[in-house]
Amino acid sequence: MVVSLGPLEIPGRLVYDFLHIFILPGFGAVLVLVILIIWAERKIAGLVQLRYGPLHVSRRFGGVLQLVADLIRYTFQEFIIPQGADKIAYLTGPVLALIFAIIPVAFIPVSPLIEPPIYVSSNILVVLAILSTAPIFIIITGYASDNKFAFIGSLREAFLMISYEIPFIISILSMALLFRSLDMSDVVNSQAKYLSGIILNPLAALVAYIAIIRITGRFPFEISEAESELVMGPYTEYSGLMYGVAMGIAYIKLYVYSMLYSMVFLGGWLPILSNNLVESYFIGSFIILIKASILMLIAVFLRSVYPRYRVDQAIRLGWSQVLILSIISLIWSLVLSYFLR
Amino acid sequence: MEVSGSQDITQELAREIFRVVETGVKEEGERLIELQIGPTHPGSGHMRILAWVDGDVIVRCDPDIGFVHRTIEKLSENRAYIKTIPLVERPSLLDTTPMTIGYVNALEKLMGIDVPPRAKYLRTILAEITRIASHLYGIGILAIFLGHSTGFMWAFGDREVMIELATMLTGARITYAYVIPGGVRRDMPQNFPDAVEKGLKYIEKRLRDWEKIFLNNPVVERRLRDVGILKPNIARILGVTGPNVRASGIDYDVRMVEPYEAYDEIDFMIPVAEEGDGYARGLIRFKEIEQSINIIRQAIRKIPSGEIISPQISRLFNPLMKKIYAEQRRVKLPSLMATLKPPKGEAMARVEAGRGEALFHIVSDGSTNPYRFRFITPSFRNVILFKYLIPGHRIADLPAIYGSLDYFPPEADR
Repeated sequence: MVVSLGPLEIPGRLVYDFLHIFILPGFGAVLVLVILIIWAERKIAGLVQLRYGPLHVSRRFGGVLQLVADLIRYTFQEFIIPQGADKIAYLTGPVLALIFAIIPVAFIPVSPLIEPPIYVSSNILVVLAILSTAPIFIIITGYASDNKFAFIGSLREAFLMISYEIPFIISILSMALLFRSLDMSDVVNSQAKYLSGIILNPLAALVAYIAIIRITGRFPFEISEAESELVMGPYTEYSGLMYGVAMGIAYIKLYVYSMLYSMVFLGGWLPILSNNLVESYFIGSFIILIKASILMLIAVFLRSVYPRYRVDQAIRLGWSQVLILSIISLIWSLVLSYFLR
Repeated sequence: MEVSGSQDITQELAREIFRVVETGVKEEGERLIELQIGPTHPGSGHMRILAWVDGDVIVRCDPDIGFVHRTIEKLSENRAYIKTIPLVERPSLLDTTPMTIGYVNALEKLMGIDVPPRAKYLRTILAEITRIASHLYGIGILAIFLGHSTGFMWAFGDREVMIELATMLTGARITYAYVIPGGVRRDMPQNFPDAVEKGLKYIEKRLRDWEKIFLNNPVVERRLRDVGILKPNIARILGVTGPNVRASGIDYDVRMVEPYEAYDEIDFMIPVAEEGDGYARGLIRFKEIEQSINIIRQAIRKIPSGEIISPQISRLFNPLMKKIYAEQRRVKLPSLMATLKPPKGEAMARVEAGRGEALFHIVSDGSTNPYRFRFITPSFRNVILFKYLIPGHRIADLPAIYGSLDYFPPEADR
């Protein structure tokens, strides 16, 4: 889907890349959406639990700036590196995890007319590959902290990530198989032609969503950070700004996974299509953003309903029911793709 | 016969307890990690739990108590009898009235004071109100230990209703010191029965919501079913009390076995479960809340009119006290009570507090202070379960079992 921009090709490209990376759906949108989602999470939980939630910071807007205040506090709080910690690993672990959580945004197209900043024809595969590096950094973090709870937490996280990533990858690839393409643009265009992915293969959609909830550590799978067992899991020893970073990773991951999910299952920038370059960029990214935030809202709402599973129960669930369902969804895609051709 | 029998039981107990340890790691070598959970751990409470883990499985667990020991027994030896009443309600801040009832009952036995029936009923009502509050607190802690924040918030919110009722009756939120030798401090207000009915209706409505979000929650069931199973014979040997032992199929409740206050005039049942796992322990608390609601309703209906303080005390009133008592139905303690000198002797009383049986033993040497005051709280008797229930379970089960036991460190440490 290469669009010729004529003589304006290079500057237009640069402006667009800048917008994509820094504004929409890149850093700017991530920051605003994470703040809004955390606020919504606390507000919804407050509604369910018969209390107010955030209220006093920016009272007129229902305390929406509470997280900004928290971030400011994290920034100026003393940042302690424990004596026994492996300093380099301790500092780089969460930062690398954050970077690798947000890189996939550069691969995700937001409009049928414009390529993403980094164009790879099999971008679904690349995004999955980048996202699956996360356990490495978690293990680095847990090891570097020199804390038993952090170590146990990081091992739990690694175990659980692996046992839910495989069903997730299978269910996403079953959609790629269904639409016969590893390019998100093609996948979305195919959905425009037939039906959205969630209707064509609801099983894969279900498996992928369960896996997203687990991979991003939402309830009932908030197991690696279980407060009553492991204090704060891999991030037990982090304080100040690094704690804020560590807390943000889960939400950024949730955002990226939700974007991928809305591309593959919910038809990306559909249903509104525009032939104007600028319009299609803004409308497309807004629609993706709205779809992603609905997915995120459902994920954070589960906190008010479920407690957390035990680690062995969650791993068993991942390797039995969820994996089997994902394989069934793969077979269903095979059968369906024969008819769709 | 006694010796051999007890040896058999001990061996059986040892086999049962170390069943898991034997199948696990024999040598405490490098495979085991020692986890010190607490005293500054979000899931430990005011105690330290030493756990040796092999991978994710705890092979040995040792509760280390005493971090909030407040020398209540020793303190009481140095103060007048009447001043120990507010002292005994300090250890278990959510479950205060049964404690004061137990202490005052022992004191009344020592001095031979009779309590008028209306005061007995008022004591019973307040004890059941605090039982509901205490159980809600325990359920809330169980919920947050499982990560269920809604259960935690709901429990603490609903507990507030019970606290408001108690405030209406006594004038204080938590530490009422409502029970005094010979009666209670004040009569219930005119609108109290209506308020109680309203509060109980609300709690009954909420219990149905609780069932939906907590008891029937599939994740809660998976976390608590077959976790920390306490077998009846082991419960008997370890001397466990309260809802924990009733969840293991042993029908033991001091309110039934040795009725005190107005419990012998009230028709209620003791819920018992057979499973003995964490889920049964949680469920028993909900059932007991239902029974407490039943008891309060009956007591409000049956409460006789009359005095709220024994004539043995009220004859010591001065004219002002008599006026206050006649006009406001409030009891001012006569000054003689400050230097109360019970006759030489011993007296013992026990009550069913929210978490189990509490025992009070006063030894008097005829002076103004007790010679010795022994105070055994239910949590102190239940803490031993940490050692025997947790080995063989996973780290994640530790908070689940802890929460299901409703163990309260300050109560155990006294």
